[in-house]
Amino acid sequence: MNSRIALAALLAVFPLAAAAQAGFAGKTVTIIVGYKPGGGYDATARLLARHLPDYIPGKPTVIVQNMPGGNSIIAANHMYNVAKPDGLTIGTFNRNLPIAQLTGVQGVKYDMRKFAWIGSAANETTILAIRAELPYRNFDELRKSKERIVIGSTGPGANTHDFPLLLKDLLGMNIKIVSGYSSSADIMLAVERKEVDGRAGSYTSLRPFIDRKLVRPMVRARSKDNALKDLPIDESFAPNPRAKAIMALRSAPEAIARPYVLPPGTPEAIVKTMREAFAKAIEDKALVAEADKAKMDLDYTSGEEAEKVLQEVLSQPKDIVDQFTKYIKFGD
Amino acid sequence: MANRASLGLAIVIMLVSGCGIWSALAWPLKAKLFPLVIGIPLFCLALAEAISILLAKQKSDDFRLSADQPNDVALRRTLLAAGWAIGFFLAIVLLGFQIAVPVLLFAYLRLQGKESWVFTIVFTAAVWACFYGLFDLLLHLPFPAGALFGGWSG
Amino acid sequence: MLEAFLEGLGLVLQWKAFGFMLAGIFVGFWVGLLPGLGGATTLALMLPFIYNMQPVEAFAFLLGMHSVVATTGDITSILFGVPGEATTAAIILDGHAMAKKGEAGRALGAALASSLVGALIGAAALAVAIPIVRPLVLTFGSPELFMLAVVGLAFIAGLSSGGARGMLRGFLAGCLGLFLAMVGQDPQAGVARFTLDTMYLWQGLDLVPVLVGLFALPEIIELVVRGTSIAGDAPSGDISKGALQGVKDVFRHWWLTVRCGLIGTFIGITPGLGGAVAQWMAYGHAAQSARTAEERKKFGEGDVRGVLGPGAACNSKEGGALIPTIAFGVPGSTSMAILLGGFFLLGLVPGPDMLTKHLPVTFSLVWTIVLANIITVGACFLLLNRLTALTRIPGHLLVPVILVLVFIGSFTSNSSYADIVVTLIFGAVGYFMVLAGWPRAPLVLGLVLGKIAENYLYISMARYDFEWLTRPVVLVLLAIAIGVIAYPALQSWRGRTRG
Repeated sequence: MNSRIALAALLAVFPLAAAAQAGFAGKTVTIIVGYKPGGGYDATARLLARHLPDYIPGKPTVIVQNMPGGNSIIAANHMYNVAKPDGLTIGTFNRNLPIAQLTGVQGVKYDMRKFAWIGSAANETTILAIRAELPYRNFDELRKSKERIVIGSTGPGANTHDFPLLLKDLLGMNIKIVSGYSSSADIMLAVERKEVDGRAGSYTSLRPFIDRKLVRPMVRARSKDNALKDLPIDESFAPNPRAKAIMALRSAPEAIARPYVLPPGTPEAIVKTMREAFAKAIEDKALVAEADKAKMDLDYTSGEEAEKVLQEVLSQPKDIVDQFTKYIKFGD
Repeated sequence: MANRASLGLAIVIMLVSGCGIWSALAWPLKAKLFPLVIGIPLFCLALAEAISILLAKQKSDDFRLSADQPNDVALRRTLLAAGWAIGFFLAIVLLGFQIAVPVLLFAYLRLQGKESWVFTIVFTAAVWACFYGLFDLLLHLPFPAGALFGGWSG
Repeated sequence: MLEAFLEGLGLVLQWKAFGFMLAGIFVGFWVGLLPGLGGATTLALMLPFIYNMQPVEAFAFLLGMHSVVATTGDITSILFGVPGEATTAAIILDGHAMAKKGEAGRALGAALASSLVGALIGAAALAVAIPIVRPLVLTFGSPELFMLAVVGLAFIAGLSSGGARGMLRGFLAGCLGLFLAMVGQDPQAGVARFTLDTMYLWQGLDLVPVLVGLFALPEIIELVVRGTSIAGDAPSGDISKGALQGVKDVFRHWWLTVRCGLIGTFIGITPGLGGAVAQWMAYGHAAQSARTAEERKKFGEGDVRGVLGPGAACNSKEGGALIPTIAFGVPGSTSMAILLGGFFLLGLVPGPDMLTKHLPVTFSLVWTIVLANIITVGACFLLLNRLTALTRIPGHLLVPVILVLVFIGSFTSNSSYADIVVTLIFGAVGYFMVLAGWPRAPLVLGLVLGKIAENYLYISMARYDFEWLTRPVVLVLLAIAIGVIAYPALQSWRGRTRG
């Protein structure tokens, strides 16, 4: 009797597994990117799209579709409300969308917690880098500077703007933020022209300029990156627990720097398959080689961890959120 | 004709800029400076244009869209063209690109072009094959199914 | 330097690299021709294929494709009045008008020849500028860029027809364009301006759907109204003779062509202005070369100068745009950003190294642009008869096909139906503007330059308070702007005192 049940159970699982296999064969999986081609999110998605088929059972074709707009809120709304939970549509979007949800941005039609999270393909850390020829040798000197330090930014909502803003308002640094540059590359040009003294941004995007000795990193947000462990952390200078909480909240989404989700209600089996596929693809030798050449650093963070980070972000007490909203506006 | 179109545009612009200026007043200085610096002259210019048309009453040099058709024929065909364009858009939303494209080709060639059945079918098939081959198969540009088939709602 | 120059040529002429360049040209030919395909999207799609190529081969492919797109985009603009690319809209005004008069051959000849000249100027600039490129780009700070935007806006005066009425309407269109540029989230206070509570308008109006609506839809409507082919009943004439005349026109107006090529190169070099501006400034400059008020009015009805100005500028700006991309790693446009991604992929770091260690590779890029353009223009001339024959096809066959391509083009850039709605709305606006006799060029200029002007003004004020007004380059540019505005007024005053 037992063996028959066991056999029946086995026979039941087989078709399921076969179904999972058959489910993807000959199909096309679309990764929806909330940005135009050419940026970091798009490049990461295309890199993954090239290597994922090897690790998804059935070897489907994986293509990328760009759906920019509303700073990728449109893509997130689409993933939440329109895309079918059949595993054929994956979404990636702005890492700060949880913040948009938290601060009640109008137009948000998703709940980050309800997505079926595949995970994150990378971590990022925001750092502040200053022109190398300036006389500040470390963050302490920078902090105590009597001279005004001019930092270029693209606009509120970007880490180029928000990170130095908190340094200015919460740590009282003598910083002037000049915003309106059309891209972070333009800000680097302004640095070379000595129009501004530095910029904040993700370590990955600033690394070529640090290597070229144009700028020097001064301070960073919390990070898992080993290369940055000697750099001071902004939170450690916070004058009170509330300021520290605000800085921590700004940095939290960076642990899920390249978020990948499936629509809410996607069956467990499919989510599991995708998580494994992503984890393995990111370790794939060929992908790592390509990523190195493109100076991208991919690192898999599991869906469960991502969900934990989100819970933390989205359950902040109201007074912290109110204070936070005073400083940080969601935007470009 | 040209004067009426000009007057219409000027009035629309006055309305648009008027609303814009109104909503801009509530913003912080840096956000509202440029919109006001541009919006107020825009309103005034449109007003000037509208007034000069109403006062002048002379026929200015017309840049006619097409001088070789009598007015009522031109009007009818213009409305027809606009109708086709809007209809195509609705077809895309309801039926999806894959279906709306051949439907449009077929309908236009039959109804507007008055081509024979054979030609219409062959032409539609050829163009649709090119469209499908290039955009779908080669470039993998995704086109959603229409709303009637459970596709996107935009 | 000379050895690197020649070495670069040698690199491109290797079989494999050359073959890839031809492949790129073939792809680029169709991308530019078809309004539904954007150069940037296709570049992004092509990137995966270059992973296994050598640097020179990969760039031969990518650049070969990219440099050709502007040229064939001109063809679609001239023949159909539909912008093949966002950067080829200006040529529609006079180019398509010529096609409707049956002068398609001449327009195409002029466009192709001026494209080649422009490309050569851009490539030459890239080659020559290499030693001075870094100090050159570094002189142009935010105040100078703001002034450049002002100069660009000053061309609105040049693009309006003469007389007080014409000026009024030109400035009206320009102001409307500027006003529309304000839509979106502003980078100073983060306020969502004029977004009508939609997410779609958060990042502002996208240029491509607006351009397609403004220019292509009125043409389509007109095709339906006329009920004939594009060339209508105009006599066909000898096409190759027409093309030859077009080429001769380029030499007849040699200095205008060269000037427009230089304008394009310059706009390409200055990062932050965007590629769409070059063609309109060149068009405005060409319009200014009209000597009398009557000549000025003819612009928009088929003056060949309105073709060769934008034709040259569009291609020359490509060479110019490579300069900040290669020398600083600052891409001037989406296509350049993708090309930059290609650089990293191949292990090349943009910056001083490209101008020293990797100089032959940089020169190979120059040669690619030159050769690709020569080959394309040659091929187009050979196909000229077939291309012009398209203007003889009955309108009712073309209209649905163009509509399909136009709608696909609007939709696929953002995967959004809203883009098609924008196209339809601006189609109505464009139609009424043509009916009312309002020029559309100033609207586009205002739309393209509005945000740039606002941002750089704020940056200049924040950084330098009022001191930036006294910087030498700023003053020079201000003088140029005043000159650009005053010139047409001066002309008509001189015309009146003489006549």
